[in-house]
Amino acid sequence: MKEKTSKLLGILFDNLIWLLVAAGLVIFSSLSKSFRAPNNLISLLYRTSALGLLVLGQSFTMITGNFDLSSESGLGLTAMVAALLMATVENGGLGLELSPFLAIPVMFGVGALIGLVNGFLITRLRMNNLIVTIAMQMILRGLVYIISPGATASFFPKAFNWLGGGSLYKIPLERGFVNIPVATVFVILIFVIAHIITRYTQFGRNMYATGSNVVAAKDAGIDTDKIIRWVYLIDGLCMALAGLLAAGRIDSATPRTGSGMTFPVQAASVIGGISMAGGRGNMIGALGGLMLWSILDNGLSIMKVSPFWIETSRGLILLFAVFLDAIKVRRMHNRSLIESLLHTTIGLKDKTVVKD
Amino acid sequence: MNTKQEIMEKTPILKMENVSKAFPGVQALTDVNFSVEQGEIHGLVGKNGAGKSTLMAILMGILEPNEGAITVGDERFVAMSPKEAIAAGIAYVPQHVAMMDSLTVAENILAGELPRNKMGLVDWKRVNQEAKERLEKLGLGLDVNKKVEGLGVAEQTMLAIAKALFGNAKLIILDEPTASLSRADINRLFSFIRSLKDKGGSFIYISHHLEEVFEICDRVTIIRDGRVVGTERVKDIDVPKLIVMMVGEDVEDYTRKSTCMEEVILNLSGLERRGYYEDINLELRKGEILGLTGLQGCGAEQLGKGLFGLEPRGIGTITIHGEEFKAVKPIESFNQGLAYLPQDRYRFGLVGLRSVRENVTYPVLDKLVRLINLVNRKEEKKIVDQYITELDIKTPSTEQPVRLLSGGNQQKVVFAKMATTKPDVLVLHEPTQGVDVRAKMDIFRIIDDMAKQGVAVIIISTEIRELMGVCDRIVVMNDGRLTKEFRKGSEEMTPEKILAAIEGGKNNE
Repeated sequence: MKEKTSKLLGILFDNLIWLLVAAGLVIFSSLSKSFRAPNNLISLLYRTSALGLLVLGQSFTMITGNFDLSSESGLGLTAMVAALLMATVENGGLGLELSPFLAIPVMFGVGALIGLVNGFLITRLRMNNLIVTIAMQMILRGLVYIISPGATASFFPKAFNWLGGGSLYKIPLERGFVNIPVATVFVILIFVIAHIITRYTQFGRNMYATGSNVVAAKDAGIDTDKIIRWVYLIDGLCMALAGLLAAGRIDSATPRTGSGMTFPVQAASVIGGISMAGGRGNMIGALGGLMLWSILDNGLSIMKVSPFWIETSRGLILLFAVFLDAIKVRRMHNRSLIESLLHTTIGLKDKTVVKD
Repeated sequence: MNTKQEIMEKTPILKMENVSKAFPGVQALTDVNFSVEQGEIHGLVGKNGAGKSTLMAILMGILEPNEGAITVGDERFVAMSPKEAIAAGIAYVPQHVAMMDSLTVAENILAGELPRNKMGLVDWKRVNQEAKERLEKLGLGLDVNKKVEGLGVAEQTMLAIAKALFGNAKLIILDEPTASLSRADINRLFSFIRSLKDKGGSFIYISHHLEEVFEICDRVTIIRDGRVVGTERVKDIDVPKLIVMMVGEDVEDYTRKSTCMEEVILNLSGLERRGYYEDINLELRKGEILGLTGLQGCGAEQLGKGLFGLEPRGIGTITIHGEEFKAVKPIESFNQGLAYLPQDRYRFGLVGLRSVRENVTYPVLDKLVRLINLVNRKEEKKIVDQYITELDIKTPSTEQPVRLLSGGNQQKVVFAKMATTKPDVLVLHEPTQGVDVRAKMDIFRIIDDMAKQGVAVIIISTEIRELMGVCDRIVVMNDGRLTKEFRKGSEEMTPEKILAAIEGGKNNE
C-alpha cells in the first residue's frame, strides 16, 4: 500500500509541470474573458516561439551537463545578419535585397559557426562551458552592434516572415475567425521531433549518458566530446531558427533583438524539469516549462498586472522550480537510504530516517 | 563457458613475475610474484601503503613497472596501457562504482550499443528484454527498468561486475566491495560472486576485512612494504597468522604512563543511530586515552563523526562536564569543547593551498577578530608560532602552503588547529594513517601531552598495536554495539584477544 502511494507520488512529481500548466490555464481562463478567447489561447506559443527554440537548444546542452548562455546573442546576430542582407537601404539594410532563400541559409551558417566555436572551445581546449558561453554572449552582442547601422532594419519579404509571423489556417467562426499561427504549430512540432531524438536515437541516449556520468559514458565507449560538439552545433542551429522566428514575427531586427532572454531560457528549461546537473529531464517537460512561462506572461499582462509584479512572479516560479528539484533529489536519496536500511539488522529508532 | 572439469586444471589466467616499481625516493614494489588461476577468488591483503594499489595500477596499465613481466591468458605484456588491459580482459570494480545514475539499469548495461529498429530508432522493448536476458544468464534478477540511483550499493556493485563480464572480462578486480555494505548485502554479493566463480570467473579480492577474505577467497597473497610475504590457501592459515604476516614483528611501540584522572568529562548514554550504532554507553575521564576499534563498517567511524556533528547523531544523550552537549554543527562542537581529527586530512582536515598560519587559526578566527572584522595578525602569529614550536612542526615559515609539507607535518598542523580550540574532548580518526614511523612517534607524543593537560582522547583506529601502546582502555565495537572492553595492564589485553573480539561478532550470525 505504502509502496503504491509512493509510486503514485513519484509519477505526480515527474509530471507536476503539466498540473501547473493546467492550473494556470484554468485560473486565468476563469479570471479573464480575453485570456480564454480562442485566438489568445492558440497564440500563447506564437509569442514565445523564439524563446521556445532557445529553450530547446539550452535543454540539449543541459542534458549533456553543459550550459549555453550565449544563445540570446546568437539569436540577435543571426536575425541582424538576415535583416541587413534583405532590407532595402532606406529601411536600414545594406541594399543587397537578397532573396530570403539565400538569407536564411546564411543565418543557419552563422548559427552553425557559433555552435562549432562553442563546442571547439569547450571540448578541444577544455574551457569551462559557463564562462565560454558568457564570453560568447558579450562577443556576439558586440558584433550585432558593430554590423548594424545602430538602428532597426525592417520590412522583409513575405516568405521570410511566414514561419515567424504567418498564419497556417483560418477557422471561420460566427464572428471573425480563429487564426492558427505557423509558429505555434512549428514549435510544438519541433519539440516533438526533439523528444523523439532524445528518447529514441542512439545519439539522444548518448546525450543522457554523457550528462549522467561522463566517466561511465566514456567507459561504455561513447565519444562524449563528440556528443557535446554535436549538441552545441544543434544549439547554434536553434539560435538561427529562433532568429528567424523573432525577426519574422515583428518584421524587423534591432541591435537589441533577443537581449535579456538568457534567464527566461534557463528558467523555462529548469521549470520544465531539465536538471542543472545534467542527465535528467525530457523535452516534453521542457515544452511544458515553455508553456507555463507563456501562460504566466500572457495571463498576467492581460489582467493588467504591473510589469514589476510580472518580473517578481517569474522569479518566484523559478525559485519554486529549483525547490522542487531539490526535494526530488532529497526524496530520492531518502528512499534509497530506507531501502538499504531495510536490509540492516541493527537499530530502529533513528529520528533522521523515521520522519519520512 | 567451460565445464567444471576443465576449470579444475590449474591454468593461471594472470601471472605477474618479478614486478618492481620505484617512485622517486620510494621503492614501492620489489620483485613481486603474483598469479591468479582460472575460477579462483584470490585475496590481496596488506596495510595501507603496502603496495596493493601500486600493483593493481600496474595490472590495469595505469603505471608502468620498472621491471617484470605480466602474462594474461597466453599473451605476454611488457608495458600495458589501460586500453590494452581492458582488451586483455581485465576489469576493475572500484569501491564506489561509476554508473550513469539517472538512467535505467537496462540503459547502463547496453549504453553505446542500444538495439535499434528498422527506422534507426532505439527499440526500448528490445533494450529491456536483452538487458534482462543478459542479467538472467548470470542469475541476477534486477529490475531493468529501475534507475541505477534507486538500487542499493550491493546491487550497484553486482551490476558493475555484470557489466564487466558483458564486456568479456576474464579477470575482475574487486576493490573493497563490502566497505559500505550491511551483512545481508554482503551475503547477497558473495553468493553472486561465488556463482560466477562456479562458472569459471576469476577475481582478485582486495579487502581490509580479513574474515571476509577467509569467507570468500580460495587463496590469499599478503603484501608488506612492497614485497610479497606469502601466498597461502585460506584453509591452511588463520586470522592471527595472517595479521602477523601483514603487520610484521618489527613494530616499535610507543609506551606512556597513564594520566587518567578521577573526574568524568564525557558521558554518552543510550546513543543510537539506526543502521550504524545502538546502545552506546560510555564514560570518559579527564586525561584518559580511549581506543575505539572494530572492523570497517562497525559503526565507530559514524560514532566519531556523529559526536562532532558531521553526520546525524541519532538519539541519546551526551554530556561534557555534566552539561548536555547539543552541538549539531562542527563549529558548535568546537565551542562546546569537542574537536575531531578526520581520517582523510587532505579532504576534510586541511585547506592545502593556504598557509600553515591560516590553517591553524580557522576555528578560532572569530576570537582573533577585532573592530570592523579585521584579524589581529600579531596575536594570530603568536598562537601559530607557539604551536609550531610545541608540536615541532617542520616548516620554513608560517606562510608555507600546507600542501608542501610532509604527511607527518601536515598531520601536526591539524593537531595544532584542534589544539587552538582548547578542547576537553578530542576525537581522532586514524591519526597515524599515511605518516612515517618517526612522525608517528611525534604524534603519539602530542596526544600524550594533551592527555597530560587533562584532555580526554578517543582514538578510532584499526591499528591495534598502536592502540595497545598508547591507550588506557580499548573498547571493541561490533556491528554497532560496544561489545568488549580491555583495560591497560590487565592480562586480557593481548593482540590475539582483541582481534578475537573484533572478529567475534560477525561470526556469530
